[in-house]
Amino acid sequence: MRVERRAFLSAAGMVGAALCLPQRSDAAAKPDKALEEAVTVIAAVQRHMFPKGGRLPDAETMRMTRFLTETVSHPTYDRDIRVFVIEGAKELMLREKGKLLGYDRDAMEKALRRYETTDYGSNWLSRIMILSLEAMLGDPVYGSNVGEAGWRAVHSFGGQPRPKTRYIQL
Amino acid sequence: MKDVEFDAVVIGSGASGGAVAYTLCKAGYKVAVLEKGRLIRREAFSKDEIAYCRRDIVTPNLFEEYHVIEERVDGKWEATPSYESGWSFWNGNIVGGSSNFMSGMFHRMHPDDFRLKSKYGPIEGANVVDWPISYGDLEPYYAKVETLVGISGRFQAHPFEPPRSTPDFPQPPTKENAVVKLLDKSCQALGITPLVTPRGVLSQDKGHRNACYYSNFCGSYGCSSGAKSSARESLLIPALATGNLTLMSNTHVKQLHSDSKTHVSHAVAVDTVTGKERTIRARLFVVAAQAHESARLLLNSANRFHPDGLANSSGEVGKNLIFSGGGSGQGELHEDSLREISFKELMQTGYFVNRSILDWYFIDDWWEGKFKGGSVEFMFEHQNIISRAVKSRYGKERLLWGDALADRLTERFTKQKTVRFEIFNDWLPNDNCFVSLDPTHKDRYGMPVGRLRIEGHPQDVKVGSYIAKKCEKVLEKMGAKHIYSSVSATPPQNLVAGGCRFGNDPKTSVLDKQCRAHDVDNLYVADASFMPTGGSVAYTWTIYANALRVADHIVEVLKKGEV
Ligand SMILES: Cc1cc2nc3c(=O)[nH]c(=O)nc-3n(C[C@H](O)[C@H](O)[C@H](O)COP(=O)(O)OP(=O)(O)OC[C@H]3O[C@@H](n4cnc5c(N)ncnc54)[C@H](O)[C@@H]3O)c2cc1C
Ligand code: SF4
Repeated sequence: MRVERRAFLSAAGMVGAALCLPQRSDAAAKPDKALEEAVTVIAAVQRHMFPKGGRLPDAETMRMTRFLTETVSHPTYDRDIRVFVIEGAKELMLREKGKLLGYDRDAMEKALRRYETTDYGSNWLSRIMILSLEAMLGDPVYGSNVGEAGWRAVHSFGGQPRPKTRYIQL
Repeated sequence: MKDVEFDAVVIGSGASGGAVAYTLCKAGYKVAVLEKGRLIRREAFSKDEIAYCRRDIVTPNLFEEYHVIEERVDGKWEATPSYESGWSFWNGNIVGGSSNFMSGMFHRMHPDDFRLKSKYGPIEGANVVDWPISYGDLEPYYAKVETLVGISGRFQAHPFEPPRSTPDFPQPPTKENAVVKLLDKSCQALGITPLVTPRGVLSQDKGHRNACYYSNFCGSYGCSSGAKSSARESLLIPALATGNLTLMSNTHVKQLHSDSKTHVSHAVAVDTVTGKERTIRARLFVVAAQAHESARLLLNSANRFHPDGLANSSGEVGKNLIFSGGGSGQGELHEDSLREISFKELMQTGYFVNRSILDWYFIDDWWEGKFKGGSVEFMFEHQNIISRAVKSRYGKERLLWGDALADRLTERFTKQKTVRFEIFNDWLPNDNCFVSLDPTHKDRYGMPVGRLRIEGHPQDVKVGSYIAKKCEKVLEKMGAKHIYSSVSATPPQNLVAGGCRFGNDPKTSVLDKQCRAHDVDNLYVADASFMPTGGSVAYTWTIYANALRVADHIVEVLKKGEV
């Protein structure tokens, strides 16, 4: 699968302690209805991955879902991955016959682990996790990592100087 | 600006373009540097991991500008556009080019790298040739780069350390993490000589540039103190101060126009913001767009005088593209088994590991025989926070979340630190590594994109694997856990050279030994394209040095009114 190939190649990457392999992007992406519909599912998944009362900052306090929607709607974001984020949420809802949002923690855990047994589901969950980690550990200028709680949780802090604008004022 | 004729037009503002522009401007010539990327000033550089390391912001959008990469899959060549694979061959496209983002580990090539064929003989399947110049020709320029661009370090005699004309580096080494005590001791116990890494990073203030403040985020990031020896800081700013430089950012050159067999009259450039096209005239033209893109520009400049591409009567433009062979490896130093230094010292952020090994540059092994080897750099794993967390997201078989993820991240971020090594050995030039024009795919300006066929030579992997085993032993001796290495024929896209070989014979090379096109009197290629073989170190010190050498020659040509 292309998304996976991209991830694999990123790991093969550059030398010189460089991690910066840019991902492909799309100049035209805008928030849309499809994304709005997927958002409730994604928010529920993020809440499960980063629950309140856990040892990591929780999804809601960290505004992870808002970060995700703003990120995948930005022109610099890969349009294939954006579509994948939306479609994967729909697929999960379908597989759970529309009941996902009513699940308690145990049922949600089982549903997500079931989804993970498929290649598609596993890639999708991995993508949601990556976007959530970006939210938790990116610079607070992006509206998440509130009060640097993400950085404090891993005892690692972004370097100086910190950005004053998102995406170098793009 | 209308129809100004410059003494020289330089295409690309990176390491090579910056060196040429600097020299010409200092000599009093009017120079235009045409750079397709935008200008980001020092004050605007930040340590924004999302912007610099996770999106296309300092490189082109892959939908608009991309390459097609051809790899051999199950015996067949398979071509994939990079917008599909995400495997980007852009390395930094702003004023100053990729040099803004380099890690700055610098080495000179060894004198024998200039005469690889005579020294080691031919290798089957590899197009190895001697260079038309010797180390002695380049040495004064290697020395000049140290003082002009700024390299910190400490000279230590070593059998494979190239000779130098000055006793030592102009600045002492950058500060080092205490881990070097453990690394040095481990190397010495194994009979290996660790050397201080020369670095394109200032350890002391220099003119308008401030010393490194050890930001902990160096490679892939622009430097906000000016300490990193990028072309923007070290060459373009002083060149601008002469008043002779016209720096045109957001200016993409799509073609060079020749009006006879031996003369280029103007560059055809597009303003990347307005889309307007214009012509820019000069007495001579210097292509410095980074190796694969320089070859593409020449091929895209074909016309009736140059039907196979500008300066391509040899058919060699784009051929023998090289990268850096080798690979990398790593091991984890854990709090519970650390020796020699305290865990607190290990976890101190910002300071460099600063160690290189040249012991295997030329190998004479009782079992494997004698062959050309490579160099090694030791460093910490990149300290990017998101990417380290992303790498830790899996448990044994499945994704971690909730407290299981918290435990994994705590372990990863607070109980250990990963030490890496990177191996640099020759990427042997061969017939299956070249850049040509793609027959169907076009960029946003309507020009064919570069099609890069990429295949390494089996010897490259053999050499890399030999060295990786030695490095793993060093990590073992250091007490590292979870040691592994990966050596393959996958190219590091940030270390690219070749494609317009220099040589004495116009039938087998594109450029003469001054990097002037054999076919065209007023055309030079100043980036790493000229390199017929790449040596076993990262390229940039050699790129800077050679571009300064070429620039001195251009000054003479302009002085004599030869163009
Ligand atoms: C993350 C990273 C880490 C690195 N670490 C090291 C290291 O530790 N040691 C080392 O030796 N090297 C390192 N390098 C490599 C080093 O940066 C390059 O070798 C060097 O910058 C190449 O110089 P150049 O002049 O050929 O190209 P560049 O510096 O890339 O400059 C080329 C410029 O040309 C412009 N351009 C291209 N096409 C056109 C066109 N058609 N019109 C107008 N402009 C154009 C580009 O936008 C670019 O700005 C690293 C690179 C990266 C990205
Ligand atoms: S301050 Fe030092 S470590 Fe930071 S980017 Fe500049 S040169 Fe690199």
